Amino acid sequence: MSQPSLVTRDLTIRFGGHVAVNAVSCAFNPGELTVIVGPNGAGKTTYFNLISGQLMPSAGQVIKDGVDISAMPPSKRAHHGIGRAFQLTNLFPQLSVLENIRLAVQARSGEGWRFLTRTQSLTELAARAERYLEATKLSSVAHLPAAALSHGDQRKLEVALLMAMEPDIYMFDEPTAGMSLDHAPDVLDLIAEIKHDQTKTILLVEHKMDVVRTLADRIIVLHNGELLADGAPDEVMSSQIVRDVYLGKSAEPA
Amino acid sequence: MNDTLTTGSLTVKIIVLLIAALLLFAPFLFQDIRSLEVAARICVFIVLVASYDLLIGYTGIVSFAHTMFFGLGAYGAAIALRQMGPGWDAVLTGAVAGAFVSLILAIAIGLLSLRVKAIFFAMITLAAASVAMVLASQLSQFTGGEDGITYKAPDLFKPATKLAVTDDGKVARLFGVRLNGKLAAYYFVFITCLVLFLLMLRLVGSPVGTVLKAIRENEARAEAIGYRVVAYRTFVFCVAAVIASLAGTVYAIWLKYTGPDTALSFTIMIDILLMVVIGGMGTMYGAVIGAVLLVLAQYYLRDLMGSAAEALSNVPVLPFILEPDRWLFWLGIIFILLVYFFPQGIAGTLARKGDKA
Repeated sequence: MSQPSLVTRDLTIRFGGHVAVNAVSCAFNPGELTVIVGPNGAGKTTYFNLISGQLMPSAGQVIKDGVDISAMPPSKRAHHGIGRAFQLTNLFPQLSVLENIRLAVQARSGEGWRFLTRTQSLTELAARAERYLEATKLSSVAHLPAAALSHGDQRKLEVALLMAMEPDIYMFDEPTAGMSLDHAPDVLDLIAEIKHDQTKTILLVEHKMDVVRTLADRIIVLHNGELLADGAPDEVMSSQIVRDVYLGKSAEPA
Repeated sequence: MNDTLTTGSLTVKIIVLLIAALLLFAPFLFQDIRSLEVAARICVFIVLVASYDLLIGYTGIVSFAHTMFFGLGAYGAAIALRQMGPGWDAVLTGAVAGAFVSLILAIAIGLLSLRVKAIFFAMITLAAASVAMVLASQLSQFTGGEDGITYKAPDLFKPATKLAVTDDGKVARLFGVRLNGKLAAYYFVFITCLVLFLLMLRLVGSPVGTVLKAIRENEARAEAIGYRVVAYRTFVFCVAAVIASLAGTVYAIWLKYTGPDTALSFTIMIDILLMVVIGGMGTMYGAVIGAVLLVLAQYYLRDLMGSAAEALSNVPVLPFILEPDRWLFWLGIIFILLVYFFPQGIAGTLARKGDKA
């Protein structure tokens, strides 16, 4: 296997006396989709926040392609190829869908500091934004404010923003949360498409077991902030310890 | 809000174009000194309010230091004109000095405090503005203290200056308007303000403009997709400060007097806030509409009420209510009604009305 694109080394964060993520060391490889599972409060989202920079670690490092990015703010990590979608819909509500996507495209292209150029004249940006609109089937609502979209479309826009950033590392935090069963496949298809590329590193927090089974190349289990298990899906799902802490105890595995 | 045009937003554009045309031909349309005074004040306030809207309406930054930057530009020009005499070199020195000091202060305030929560930032700007007012009053050998400074504008703007002469050596007239220095001064104000306004219009329509709105909408996500929020905030704070400062310089040249009341007082800050709210936050056109309405009300509501009271002198009670001294009361009522019927400001509310064309 090639060199890992993302490594967390003894990544730890403490909130007062509570250790939310405890010395998690893990390497993620290009072309690999890793699902992170664990009961509520296991530290999955916190682990994500440490990787994408919303939280700064108390100890340990985040290393992207050999560069230590632990001290960087989220915006700089984004430029290093870390892309993050959020669990709760986290968009620019009053801006149109197109503007939402254009923002991500423009951040990626490095045109974000042009202040005397009319946005409309940057046709290259518009074309790329258009592409992501089509890829996520949001063209018909391109001019609506994000706040006016249905929940399902907002989740799709969330994924569109992430795709438009064109990151190396895709981080999805429960991308199908709150979606009905008929709409969830839309988002999952998008993720499958990204995976199809075989060059991207994908991290996915997900509870739905059927999703885990169909998409995962690898599963890691977090429990009380610690890395409990790491391996191929079948192996991890059948291990006794995982059944005990996760599937066994959780009242609602779905 | 989005790229499509509503009939409402078209109406706003037409109103703004109409205002621009009226301001362009103001000296010819309204041939008295007071009207020109009002027109020049409107021009300057449009720029001042628009630059403030970059902060509060576009980026969501609440600052109370905007009059400080306005005052720095005004005092810069005033002191330079006073010390160096009425010349273009003094104007340039004053403008550059004012803008430069504004820029440095904006960078300092921005980098030191734009990381903190909005309310703390507002407090810090309030403190800075208060310090500026105290300094202007204390350093009276430079600033003239509470009395302010009077000085001469460059020769071109003297009322006695003849821009064109008739055969017998008198000042030429165009449509009955004397082509004198006053006219030149007005067009200096108009053109400078127009350029500054167009610059801001371009800024909000640029990629950076969208980033500013994104920061207002969702700061954390803007950071997550790769925009350094502190840097953008500081940038727009600096731009707004420099533009406010230049507006101050222009106003100082026009008035030929600079004092706390014309350039630094909190009354101006409140006027700016009212204009932004009335016009509509987060739209450059709102600044135009807000500034025009408030300045007109400040100058003419009294007169209007005076003549109304006179016309209705035979009716009971009404003349008493419309007594010109009560103009502030009526101004207050008008504001309340405007805010009630146009919760997003006039431009903001209108732009949402009507079908998508």
